[in-house]
Amino acid sequence: MTTPLLEVSDLRTWFPSGKSEVKAVDGVSFSLAPGEVLGLVGESGSGKSITGFSIIGLIDEPGRIVEGSIKLEGRELIGLSPHELRAIRGKTISMVFQDPMMTLNPVLSIGTQIKLALEAHETISSADARERAIKALAQVRIAEPERKVDFFPHQFSGGMRQRVAIAIALLHRPKLIICDEPTTALDVSIQAEILAEMKDLVAELGTALIWISHDLATVSSIADRVAVMRFGKVVEIGPALGVLTKPQHDYTKALLDALPSRAKPGELLLRGSGIADAAPPPRKAATSDLPPLGSPYLVIDAAVKRFEKPAGLFRNLAIRSGIAQPRPVVQAVDGVSITLKRGEVLGLVGESGSGKSTLGRMAAGITVPTSGTIRLAGKPVMSGGRSPHKVTTRVQTIFQDPFASLNSRMRVGDIVAEGPLAHKLVSRAESAEYVARWLSAVGLDPSFANRFPHQFSGGQRQRIAIARALAMQPDVIVCDEPVASLDVSIQAQIINLLIRLRSELDLSLIFISHDLSVVRHLCDRVAIMYQGRIVEEGGAATIYDNPQHDYTKRLLAAVPVLPTAA
Amino acid sequence: MLGFILQRLWQAAIVVLAMSALVFCGVYAVGNPIDVLISPDATQDIRAAVIAQYGLDLPLWQQYFGFLGRVFDGDFGRSFVYNMPVSELILSRLPATLELTLAAVLFASLVGIPIGMYAGYRPNSPVSRAIMALSILGFSVPTFWFGLMLIMLFAVQCGCMPAGGRGDTVSLFGVDFSFLTTDGLSHIILPALNLALFKFSLMIRLARAGTRELMLSDTVKFARAAGISEFTILSRHVLRLISIPLVTVFGLELGSTLAFAVVTETIFSWPGLGKLIIDSITSLDRPVMVAYLMLVAMLFIVINLVVDLTYALLDPRLRKGRA
Repeated sequence: MTTPLLEVSDLRTWFPSGKSEVKAVDGVSFSLAPGEVLGLVGESGSGKSITGFSIIGLIDEPGRIVEGSIKLEGRELIGLSPHELRAIRGKTISMVFQDPMMTLNPVLSIGTQIKLALEAHETISSADARERAIKALAQVRIAEPERKVDFFPHQFSGGMRQRVAIAIALLHRPKLIICDEPTTALDVSIQAEILAEMKDLVAELGTALIWISHDLATVSSIADRVAVMRFGKVVEIGPALGVLTKPQHDYTKALLDALPSRAKPGELLLRGSGIADAAPPPRKAATSDLPPLGSPYLVIDAAVKRFEKPAGLFRNLAIRSGIAQPRPVVQAVDGVSITLKRGEVLGLVGESGSGKSTLGRMAAGITVPTSGTIRLAGKPVMSGGRSPHKVTTRVQTIFQDPFASLNSRMRVGDIVAEGPLAHKLVSRAESAEYVARWLSAVGLDPSFANRFPHQFSGGQRQRIAIARALAMQPDVIVCDEPVASLDVSIQAQIINLLIRLRSELDLSLIFISHDLSVVRHLCDRVAIMYQGRIVEEGGAATIYDNPQHDYTKRLLAAVPVLPTAA
Repeated sequence: MLGFILQRLWQAAIVVLAMSALVFCGVYAVGNPIDVLISPDATQDIRAAVIAQYGLDLPLWQQYFGFLGRVFDGDFGRSFVYNMPVSELILSRLPATLELTLAAVLFASLVGIPIGMYAGYRPNSPVSRAIMALSILGFSVPTFWFGLMLIMLFAVQCGCMPAGGRGDTVSLFGVDFSFLTTDGLSHIILPALNLALFKFSLMIRLARAGTRELMLSDTVKFARAAGISEFTILSRHVLRLISIPLVTVFGLELGSTLAFAVVTETIFSWPGLGKLIIDSITSLDRPVMVAYLMLVAMLFIVINLVVDLTYALLDPRLRKGRA
């Protein structure tokens, strides 16, 4: 057996917090052969990222490595001086981060940033640095590198920026690259491209890789070996195929069971089903004029949304006299007609910029369509006139980010009660009781009503957001990526909650997501959006098993698939 | 970009016009300069002749439009007190204020920003804590008191610095400057220090806050992961990223100091614009006041324009929208 490139043994990285210590990494051991790809999987807080940062010696104060050893080609890294560590960083070990929007400096050109990274480890003339930068960009398959080298990060898309970050990480031919969720912020098709390129590059250059991710399917498509982490410990490590098809540890099994892609569509997912939820409160009698289940309910007809900046006086003059070009108009939604039947779950799938969220906002009466109509049971969702506003409470929305969508200065009870009180669905005297029932309906302790949102985890906050939407007694809920920012096990709980509430309350859902497996699991019908239009629409099973449109086929092919036990 | 500058100039013209009307009416309401100008025992005939000579017998609107017409010809009128063209008077005082203000603001920025960045880079070190305590002191100490203390200490006790005045000046391009002679330089140090104190503290705090936040950002982490040295990270990455708020404050402070360095100029008897405006207010020298306040408005507009153009230079994301 060859000597390992990296040997981590009994690594413990702790963060003091008050009087106690948070044991972020608590006894992690593994080794990595040259050129090997190790997947490091776990949910948030499992210590996978901190493990990566410990190896490269970038633990933020006041965290510290309390014990253990990290040996790179037999040389102990723990205890090295900052100067010696800096000589290794970027040269022998480099790192790629999650969000390419945040990692590159927005005010420096790509060429300058590459030059700075080159100068960190060698003296190089400006002309040579430029040439190396162009070569580095060409290596990560950026078209026209001679021109692109002078671009600034904001002129690149997310995928391109991540390629630039990878190019910088590869500059000095490191022996090890640590990738911390490098494709999580990207669209599936971009993710598939980056994964494929990364695989090729690693094979070509013989670089070892530690691929940190929460997504088992992505990891399975690139890693030779997989380590599953929980509570700062590695619970299971082994060849990728073995760990993912024949998991030994209960936690690995539970993680796999929580994935919607592994369950039958529409069934409750195994994880998170253990919570006993109370029955939702009775609905108002006023909603008895509902059409029967299965009949057309929310009808979107030829909806168009254009975003344009109004031009000022001088610009108008300049445009008329032909000096300036009119500002580009963004056609976010370009003539979409779709019907949501009552009691149905409609999935709206597309990549970023496809217009799915804008369509959802128009359906929910938040954004005014430029043209076209949106009607709920024959009545318009928004009033007419110069400044239209929403006129129905029957459509409610759940937003993606439960950290941003809840007012952090209001108590949970007030957040949930605000809408129903404003629309006189309950009296002030009844509201506490009303809120308590809805909180228990979404699986939260009713006593939480007196707390503030920051005291809750992401999954709990999303439950609060769901309770807030449901308390308005809607018939239609527009869910805009409601599980995108959650861990798989929490995601499973929220999906289960939505499945259950939908059947108990006869809700109709518009479920907006980029995650094809979640949509497959939850939705009856799916519409695929691309560049503001719906390119394909149909029953979920039909679309997934027999896609017609090229874009749909490409999208489905890009989704990483977990290996299944033979 | 051209359209943007045109638009700003158009806005500037409107602001200056509004300013002139406001100031003209305001000053008209303050009092009649004739009472100050001629001795109380002058005859009624002389009094009437002087009033007619300055056009003070006309109704306000006629005086205003007459003034506006002359301004378009470049004539701001004559000072009642100094009996010389106002434009000449202001131009003769401007260099003194300009060099004092620039010395103060540049000192505050060139010394304050690096110190602030250090304090943000090592927020918990004793040195940083001392810097922050000093900056709070700089905020809270009144300018006049600090100026008096400087004079007490350096001029009265040590005798190593002059207490006031401009010292020897050297003519450069037909304008007199102090900072080119050693005597002039020794005269400028104390007032510049006094004027710089507040800005200095402000720059420290801004630079520290920006640096402290950025040191935790992914941009800095990524640069560190590439093995870039801490000094390069601070000088090439962080400084560029925190420069936008710094430039904003630099511009605002430059403008307000140029216009309102009154206290310092009075304490150190610095013959600048601040002293001129105080003198003209006490003697109701109306043309000087009007011209001065219009100049101040112009100054702020120009500085703001330059600051906005600097933004585009500093941040490529802002170039796109205006190109």
